[in-house]
Amino acid sequence: MSRDGWRKKASEDDGWGGRGGYMAAKVCKLEQQFHMDAPREKQKEGASSSIFNGVAIYVNGYTDPSADELRRLMMLHGGQYHVYYSRSKTTHTIATNLPNNKIQELKGEKVVRPEWITDSIKAGRQLSYLQYQLYPKQKSLAFPSMCVRKAQEPASSNPSHPHQGNIHPQSNNDQILPSYSHPKTALNSPLTMQQQSNLIQHSHQESDIRLNGSVRGCPRQGEETPKVNGVHEETRDNPCPATGGLKESTLINGHAHLVNGALKPLDLAPHSNRPFAGVRPRSPQPHSPHLEHRDAAGPSRPPPVSPKPDADQRPRTPIACPSKLSNPQSAPHHRQDSDLPSAQSSVLPGLSTNQGLFNISEKSVLQDQTGRVSVNGSFHSVSPFKPTPNDCGQSGKSVAQEAEAKIISEFYSHSRLHHISTWRNEFSEYVNSLQSRRRAGGGAVFSGKDRLRKLCVNSNSGSSCLRAPQVRQSCILHVDMDCFFVSVGIRHRPDLVGKPVAVTSNRGPGYVAQRPGANPQLEQLFYQRKANQYRSESRDGELEMTPSPENEETQNNGMVQDLAALSMAEIASCSYEARQAGVRNGMFFGQAKQLCPELQAVPYDFQAYKEVALTMYETLASYTYDIEALSCDEALVDATALLAELGITPNDLASAIRADVKEKTGCNASVGMGSNILLARLATRKAKPNGQYFLRSEEVDDFIRDQPVTRLPGVGRSMASKLGSLGVNTCGDLQQVSMARLQREFGPRTGQTLFRFCRGLDDRAVRSEKARKSVSAEMNYNIRFTQVEEAESFLTNLSMEVQKRLQGVGLKGRRVTLKVMMRKPGAPVEPAKYGGHGICDNLARSSSLAHATDSGQLIAAEALKLFYAMKLDVKDMRGVGLQVQQLEGSHAGHQDTSSPGTSRSRSIRDLFMAQRPIGGQPSASNQEKSSTVTAPPTPPSEPMPGTSKGEPPPVHTPNHARTRLNFSIEVPSPSQVDRSVLEALPAELRRQVEESWSHRETEPNTSAPPLSSPCPSPPLAQPRGTLVLQLPNQPGQAGATGIVLELPDFSQVDPEVFAALPQELQEELRSAYGRRENAQLQGTVVEQRNALLQLKQPTAGRTKRRYKRRNASPAKKGPSPLKRLLPGNSPAKHSPSKALPLPPKQIDASTGLKTENGPSSSSQKQNIPEVLSKYTPRPAPTLAGACELSDIRTILREWVTTISEPVEEDILQVVRYCTELVEDKDLEKLDLVIKYMKRLMQQSVESVWSMAFDFILDNVQVVVQQTYGSTLKIT
Amino acid sequence: MMTTLTRQDLNFGQVVADILCEFLEVAIHLILYVREVYPSGIFQKRKKYNVPVQMSCHPELNQYIQDTLHCVKPLIEKNEAEKVVVVIMDKEHHPVERFVFEISQPPLLSISSETLLSHVEQLLRAVILKISVCDAVLENNPPGCTFTVLVHTREAATRNMEKVQVIKDFPWIVADEQEVHMTEPRLIPLKTMTSDIVKMQLYVEERAQKAS
Repeated sequence: MSRDGWRKKASEDDGWGGRGGYMAAKVCKLEQQFHMDAPREKQKEGASSSIFNGVAIYVNGYTDPSADELRRLMMLHGGQYHVYYSRSKTTHTIATNLPNNKIQELKGEKVVRPEWITDSIKAGRQLSYLQYQLYPKQKSLAFPSMCVRKAQEPASSNPSHPHQGNIHPQSNNDQILPSYSHPKTALNSPLTMQQQSNLIQHSHQESDIRLNGSVRGCPRQGEETPKVNGVHEETRDNPCPATGGLKESTLINGHAHLVNGALKPLDLAPHSNRPFAGVRPRSPQPHSPHLEHRDAAGPSRPPPVSPKPDADQRPRTPIACPSKLSNPQSAPHHRQDSDLPSAQSSVLPGLSTNQGLFNISEKSVLQDQTGRVSVNGSFHSVSPFKPTPNDCGQSGKSVAQEAEAKIISEFYSHSRLHHISTWRNEFSEYVNSLQSRRRAGGGAVFSGKDRLRKLCVNSNSGSSCLRAPQVRQSCILHVDMDCFFVSVGIRHRPDLVGKPVAVTSNRGPGYVAQRPGANPQLEQLFYQRKANQYRSESRDGELEMTPSPENEETQNNGMVQDLAALSMAEIASCSYEARQAGVRNGMFFGQAKQLCPELQAVPYDFQAYKEVALTMYETLASYTYDIEALSCDEALVDATALLAELGITPNDLASAIRADVKEKTGCNASVGMGSNILLARLATRKAKPNGQYFLRSEEVDDFIRDQPVTRLPGVGRSMASKLGSLGVNTCGDLQQVSMARLQREFGPRTGQTLFRFCRGLDDRAVRSEKARKSVSAEMNYNIRFTQVEEAESFLTNLSMEVQKRLQGVGLKGRRVTLKVMMRKPGAPVEPAKYGGHGICDNLARSSSLAHATDSGQLIAAEALKLFYAMKLDVKDMRGVGLQVQQLEGSHAGHQDTSSPGTSRSRSIRDLFMAQRPIGGQPSASNQEKSSTVTAPPTPPSEPMPGTSKGEPPPVHTPNHARTRLNFSIEVPSPSQVDRSVLEALPAELRRQVEESWSHRETEPNTSAPPLSSPCPSPPLAQPRGTLVLQLPNQPGQAGATGIVLELPDFSQVDPEVFAALPQELQEELRSAYGRRENAQLQGTVVEQRNALLQLKQPTAGRTKRRYKRRNASPAKKGPSPLKRLLPGNSPAKHSPSKALPLPPKQIDASTGLKTENGPSSSSQKQNIPEVLSKYTPRPAPTLAGACELSDIRTILREWVTTISEPVEEDILQVVRYCTELVEDKDLEKLDLVIKYMKRLMQQSVESVWSMAFDFILDNVQVVVQQTYGSTLKIT
Repeated sequence: MMTTLTRQDLNFGQVVADILCEFLEVAIHLILYVREVYPSGIFQKRKKYNVPVQMSCHPELNQYIQDTLHCVKPLIEKNEAEKVVVVIMDKEHHPVERFVFEISQPPLLSISSETLLSHVEQLLRAVILKISVCDAVLENNPPGCTFTVLVHTREAATRNMEKVQVIKDFPWIVADEQEVHMTEPRLIPLKTMTSDIVKMQLYVEERAQKAS
C-alpha cells in the first residue's frame, strides 16, 4: 500500500537502513518538509485557502491530477498530504483505481476520487466527499472488474495502461504491463557501432574462410584469423583495390573476393575448372553460388540478378570488373543492366551511403577506397539481407530494399530445393496441359502406345487367342527413376557407373573449418536425443544447455568430434553401390566419406535433371495421359485402360516403358505395379533397383503383411513410434488393430486410412490434374536479422514472391499463415551448417483475409500483422515462411485450362460423398451402378435461354467429365456453355465478367459437377460463380440434351452485376426469368417436391452447400433400384480397388465426379451446375461445407424433407460430422444439431427417418461415451 | 494504442487465468444458487457481465470458493487445467451432477484489448445465462446436497501442485473415486464459447437416477 509512495522517495535518499525507526523518522521529516514548503508554495501561487483544513490525504496509485499536483494543492488549501498511509491520521484516500484486496483493506475508509479535491477548490469550499466516493458501497464480494470498469474511465486517458481494467483488475498491473511493452523498444534500440563493426568483421571472416575452404581445401582449414585482424589485414594487403593489385585479386586474395562477393563464384570457377551452370547447392558449402549471391545482393546495390549463371560468360566478368574500378559505379551495374534496368537509378545513393557506413565501421582505414569497396562493406554487414536504417541512410535503405526484393526471388531461382519442389508443380502443369491438349485436340498421338500395339500385333499374330479377355483389373504403374540425381549425374560418365557416387555440393575431401559460434556437437546431441526420444517416447523437448564438460567428453570420442570438421554438405542422392556401404541420402558428406572412402562426389546439374525428367514424362505421355506427377523422377500412371486396350500384361507394359525411358534418358527406371497406388508404390520398393514388380492381387495379403508400417504413406517417425508403442511394427500387426482403436488413437480419418492401407486398400485415384491447396514461399537459409525493419522488409519481399507464385498459378488465397523458425533457446547462435537454421522452434500463426487475394501488399500487411503479434526477437529468427491457403481461382480462363475445378473440389468432397462416376457402363462397380442409377437426367426440352439467343450451341467435346468448362461467373449468361463463347466475347466484357466474379470470390467456390447423362453426356459448362442460373427442367426426359441453369430468385440477382452485363445478356436474363414461370409450373407438375426449393435460397453460397448435400442423396423415387440393391455400400466398401476395372476415362470421370455427382434423378438438382467450395480443411467441423448452425439446419431440413429414404453414406456423413463436433469440443452445437435432427426425423412420415435418427444417435453416443464417459441426455 | 499479448508473453496466461477465475467464481455461486445446494436466502442478487447473477453472502462459503479458485489460477495460467468441475454430491457423497468447464486454448492465441473487452464478456455472459436457466434441462437434486470443486489437470501438472501449495493448509488432494465416478451419467451440453484467448465449453453430467 505504502509502497507506491515510498518508492517515489526511495531514490531521493538512498542511504536508508533499517525500516522500523527510520520510517517513523522519515514520515515525521516529510511532514515537516510539507509544512515548510506550504507557505513557500502559497506565496508563489498567491491564491490560497484553508478549505481542506483538517483533511489529510493519501494518494494511492495513479491519479489525475498526479500525486505531486495533489500535494501542491493540499499545501495551498490548508490540507495535509501523507506520503505514507496511516490509518489514524489519514482522513481521505485518493485513488482512481483500486484492486479488490485493497478495497477490502480500506473498508470503512473514505476512498475518494481526485476530482473531489479539484472540484472543492473550484467551488471554494470543501464539498461532501460522498459524491466522489470511488466505491459507493464497498462490499466484501465486490466484483473486481466491475469496479475497475467504473474506475477505469478517468484512467483510460493514460496511454501507458492499455490493459488497465479489462484484463487486470489489480492496479499492480501498473508494474506488470509496462514491461511488456518494452521488448519492442528494446529491439529498436540501435546496435552500437562496436557491434556493427563486429558484425562486419565477422562476416568478412566468414567469407574468408569459405574461400579458403573451397579453393585450397584442407590445408588452411581451421586456420582462423582473429576477427579484427582478418579484416584489417585484408584491407591493408590491398588498401586500394581501385588503383591496383587487382590482377592478383582473381587469385585467392581474400580481399579481392570480398570486394565483389557476387563475383566470387566466377573467380572460383576457373580454379576449380568446373562450370557453375545451374549449380545450386542448397548447403552452405564454399562454392555455393547462391550463397554468395545473396551476400552480395545485400543492401548496397542491386543484386546481380543472374538466375542462370552462364558458364561461358561469367569467368570473364571478374576480370572486367576490376579493370573498371576507376569508374566504380559502373562496375556493379555492369552485369545487371540487362536484368535490372530499374535498379540502376537507385544505385548511386546506395553506394554513397554505404561508403559512409563502411568508413565508420572500418575506422576510416579504407577511406580512400571508392564506392565499390564500400559496397562490400555494407553488404557484409548486412549479410542477412538488409541494411539497418542506421547503417545507411534513407536513400540507402530504399536501394537496399529494392535489392533485397531481388534476393528472395534470386534465392528461389538459385535454391536447389526450391527447384526440385517447383518441378513437381511444373510437371503437374505439364500433365495438365497434356490433358487439355487431349481435350482440345481430340485425338492425341500416343507414339509409344502405337509402337506397343504394333509389337503386340506382331507377337500375337499367331496366337491372338491368347489375348483372352482377361479380368480387367485396374492397374497402376508407379514409375520411379533409380537414384535419379546420380544416374543423371553420371549418364555421360561411364567411368563412374558401378562406383559409389553421391550427388552433393561438396567435392573436397569432406572437411571444412568450423565457424565460430557454431556448436555442431550440441546440435548433434540434440538430433541424437531427438531420435532417441522418438524411440523411447520420452517427452522432454527441452534443449539442454551447452553440454557440461563430462558430457562433452563422452560425446566427443570418435565420430561426433570428427563431424565438427566434416563437411556438412548433404548428400542429395547416392548410388546403390554407395548405399551398400551405408551411405544414405541426406547424410552429411563428410560422414559419408568416412563410411565409404572411395565415394565419388558428383555436382548438381539442374539443367540435366530437368531435361531428363521432362524426357521421362514425355515418354510416359507417349503411352497415356493418365499420369500423375509425383516429383521430378516419379510418376503414377493409370494403365488400366491402356492394358485393356492393348491386351497386354502389366509386365509387358512396364518393360516397354523402362526400355523406352532407358533409351531416351540413359537412366534406369523401376516400375512397381499394383491394383492401386499404394500397392504400386510398395511394389516399386521391391522392383528397385532397375527392375519391375507386379504385385498381383492374390499376393497382396502376404506381401503387405510383412511390410513395415513406415512404408505406408503418411506414417512418419512420430506415428511409427506411436504405433510401435502399440506393438505395431508391420502392416500385419496393424491389421490386428481394430478400426475403432486406430480411430481413437489417430483420429477418425487417419485411423480409417491406416486401417485400409495396412490391408492394401487404397481408393485414391491417379490424379492427372491436381489442385493446389496452398501457395507458399519459405526461406530458412541464411536468415539473420539484426533489426526489426529487416525482418519487415524481408516479409514484404517474401510476400511479393508469394504474389508471384499465386499469379503464376492463377490463384488467390484467403488465409495467410506466417511460419517462423526461431532459434531454440540454448541452441548455438551459429549453427553447424553455414547459414543454416540450426535447432529451432517452429511457430506458425495464421489469419484470414476478408477477400481472396493475390496481392503481395495485402499479404504483406497481413503477414506483418501476424509478425508483430508474435513478438519475436528478430535476432533469433532463422527461417520465415509465408503460406497462402484457401485458394480460389483468380480468373475463370486460367482455371479452365490449368486447374479444373474437379480436382480442386475434391479435397473436401472426397470425404463427403462416395465416389460416383458417371457415364460409365452400368456393370463396372458399385459406384458405377449408382452412378448410372443416379445419373442426371435430362435436360429440359425447353430451349435454354442462352441457346435461344442464337449463340453458338455448346460445343460437345468428347464425353469426358473434365471437358466441362469451369466457367465462373455471376454473369449468368446461360449459354456460355463453352469456352468459345467466352472467348468470343469482347475482351472488355470478358474482363468484366472475370472481375465481377473475382469480387464475389469471398464465397469459395469451385467447379460444378459435370452434367452428364448415362449416355455419352455432352460436356456442359458449369457456371462457377455465386449466382447460378438454373431452369428447372423436367426429369425423366432422359436423352434430351440441353443445359440446365438455375435462376436464382430475381431479387437475389446482384443488381450491380446485372447492370454490368451487356444489354443482350440482361435481356436474355429477363426472358429467362420470364420463362421460369412456365418452367416452374412444369417442374412442379412433373413431380418433384423439392423442385424449386433452391430458388428460394437467399444466398448462393448456401445453395451450393445444400446441393452438395442433396446430391448425395438419391431419392427414393429416383430410378435407383440398383443402388438400393446394394446394401451396406458404405464408403469404405466403395473402394475402387475392389471395383472392377474401369476404362480410364471412366476412372477419370469418377475421380472428377466422385464427390459431387450422383444427384437423385428424381431431383432436379442433379442438373444444377453445382458450385463447390474448395476450402482447404478448416478448423471447424463442417457438414457439406456448412459450419454455421443455421446452414447446418438448412441442410438437414432439406435432406429430411426432400428425400424419402436416406442413403447410408449420407447418414454416415452426418455421424462423421457429429464426431468431429465432439472432437472439436463443441458439445453445444452437437446438442443442437441432434435435437434438431430428432425433431425433424421423428416428425417425418417415413419411419426410415426415425431409424436413421436412432442410428445417428447411437453412433454419436458411442463417441461421446468414449470421449466423456457419459452419454448425451436427449430430452 | 493497441496492445497485443501472445502466448509467449508470460503475462498471457495470467490474463487468461484472471478472466477465467473471475468468471468461475461467478459461475460457481450461480450454480450453487440455481441447483439449490444452499438455501436461496444466503444469496444476493448482483450484476455481472451486465446480467443479474446470484452471489452467496456466506463468508465461509465465499472464502472456500475464493481459495479454491486461487489454487486453480496457477494451473490455468500454465494451461494445465483441462477441466474445472463443480460436483454436486448427495448425502452419501456420490455425485449427482457435475458442471464441467472444459478449458482449452484456441490454436492461435493473441489478445488485444479490443477483442477482450467486448467479445469475451459477451461470451461469458452467454455462459452465465445458460447456467441460470439450466434447471430447465436438469432433474431436481435430492435434498441435502453438497458440492466440491475438482480440477482435471493435463499431464503431470499434479507433480508441481504437490510441491507448491498456493495457499497454506489448502492443498489439492487427489479426488476419491467415489467423488468422480457417476453411474450412468448423462451429458447435457450447455454452452461452448470460443474466443481469442480461451476455448471453453460447459456441460453438465447428470446421474440418471438422482433420487437413489
